[in-house]
Amino acid sequence: MMRHRAGCLRSVFFGVLSLSVSCAKKPDTGADLQVTSLGSVEVTAELLEIPGEIRNDPMYDYAHVMQYRVLAVHRGQVGKDVIYVGQYNPAKPRDAAADARAGRIGGNLRQFRAGDVHRMAMEVPIDDHYMGGIINRYFGQTEEPVYWALWTNRAAR
Amino acid sequence: MAARCSPGICLSVIFAAMIALVAPSQLVVEWRRGDSPQIAELFRRRPTGADLRNLESSLENACRIGQLVRPWMQWARFVIFEDAGDNAVLGRGGWFFYRPAVEYLVEPWSPEGEQAQGNVFDAIVSFRDDLAKRGIRLLVMPAPNKASVYSEMLARRAGGEGGPVNTATRDVLARLRRAGIEILDLFEVYERAKRTAGSPAYYLAQDSHWSPEGMELAAEAAAKRLLELGWVEKGSTKYQTRPAPVQRYGDVLRMIRAPQVERLFEPQRMNCTQVVDVETGRLYADDANSPVLVLGDSFLRIFERDAPGSGGFVAHLARHLGFSVSSVVSDGGASTLVRQQLARRPALVKGKRAVVWEFVERDLRFGTEGWQQVPLPPAD
Repeated sequence: MMRHRAGCLRSVFFGVLSLSVSCAKKPDTGADLQVTSLGSVEVTAELLEIPGEIRNDPMYDYAHVMQYRVLAVHRGQVGKDVIYVGQYNPAKPRDAAADARAGRIGGNLRQFRAGDVHRMAMEVPIDDHYMGGIINRYFGQTEEPVYWALWTNRAAR
Repeated sequence: MAARCSPGICLSVIFAAMIALVAPSQLVVEWRRGDSPQIAELFRRRPTGADLRNLESSLENACRIGQLVRPWMQWARFVIFEDAGDNAVLGRGGWFFYRPAVEYLVEPWSPEGEQAQGNVFDAIVSFRDDLAKRGIRLLVMPAPNKASVYSEMLARRAGGEGGPVNTATRDVLARLRRAGIEILDLFEVYERAKRTAGSPAYYLAQDSHWSPEGMELAAEAAAKRLLELGWVEKGSTKYQTRPAPVQRYGDVLRMIRAPQVERLFEPQRMNCTQVVDVETGRLYADDANSPVLVLGDSFLRIFERDAPGSGGFVAHLARHLGFSVSSVVSDGGASTLVRQQLARRPALVKGKRAVVWEFVERDLRFGTEGWQQVPLPPAD
């Protein structure tokens, strides 16, 4: 009787274990149809810093420039490890940020947190692709070009 | 005997339950979406002022219950108390005002006292000097707040003889003139125009911006000043206008973020006109090689890049000048951001003889990123 119960427990344990293993998520690369096709540059990068307060203005929508460390370049050329990326209206989830002025932007990222890793499709320089308010708190500190984020997905490190 | 509770206790319990419901429901929403709880961010980040405000704003935006309930609460507040919310003020006759513009008008402030991000005088004078080194002249054109021009629509007693333009604005303009800055005073332009019997409204009732008629008045005055000063000569391109009426809700009404409130009003009709090149028959388009560059904010965007297009200040300025101009528009960013944009693209000032710099009056106090000095890169 005892041996039968132990056998049952073992079966349940291995069953749950194998189910857990089969259901475990694969590392999220952040790749999807848009991020791999939009823009001329595609990277996976770690968000190093969101400088200052994100302006959440009911009247105006701004792009905020954020600092990233590039972990992998998938398309195009990126000269430096640390890059500056303009994210449009970052107080909003990416799938709700697009409007007529910003054009086609999006992604599955819901909020920006320093330390998170993003897979991004981008254009450069930002001024050639977006004509609007750009809050760049790195202005005067660096001569590096600012990228314009078209699509931003969450990704695993 | 059934237990009876007093209405006060019942209300308190209901109120506490409503508050207590928000956080767990949001956790469930985030869990179902596969996200980690946003509130956990409170413990992940260094609690700086900026981080806490970013988190607060992010929680507010993401709250599902808030998104569902807020428009209805706003509607109830509007219908019962005529309260238009945090960003708008309901004036008389269905006129709406942008709250920061009203605060700018009624609150005392001093440009000397608010210099956290630069100083308006230093920023304008240094920009003028930078341009002068390249042989370019600067015309500064503050666009009056609607509340400054139509204070009588804000409150009956506010509209007096000569208008209640903020004394700080007058002081700033006077001091800039003393520093040799060329100013186009649109306050005077509108004051004079309003005295004409049967004059149209120069600002939109539901919007924070000028009306097509107000915009055309400003464009005509700017062109006249540039020509009178002899900074440019009238060009030979012939433009004509064609009617392009537009109907939509104004930005201040939309800022209430309650479609239920919008539905209480008719969309405003605007008698816009588009500018057409007579020779080519095409709609007005900027010319990067023009001798005139126009910098500014949403006052330049409205009717020009928004519907109907090619019918805003820039196009009408070109019509009065007789040649195309070039423009850089930074929505809500005419104090500092637009000059940063120019500094990133110095080619835009190449070959220019005059720059017209428009910014909305309230930016003197509330300009996004303040009034930083932004040096132009040295000329080639």
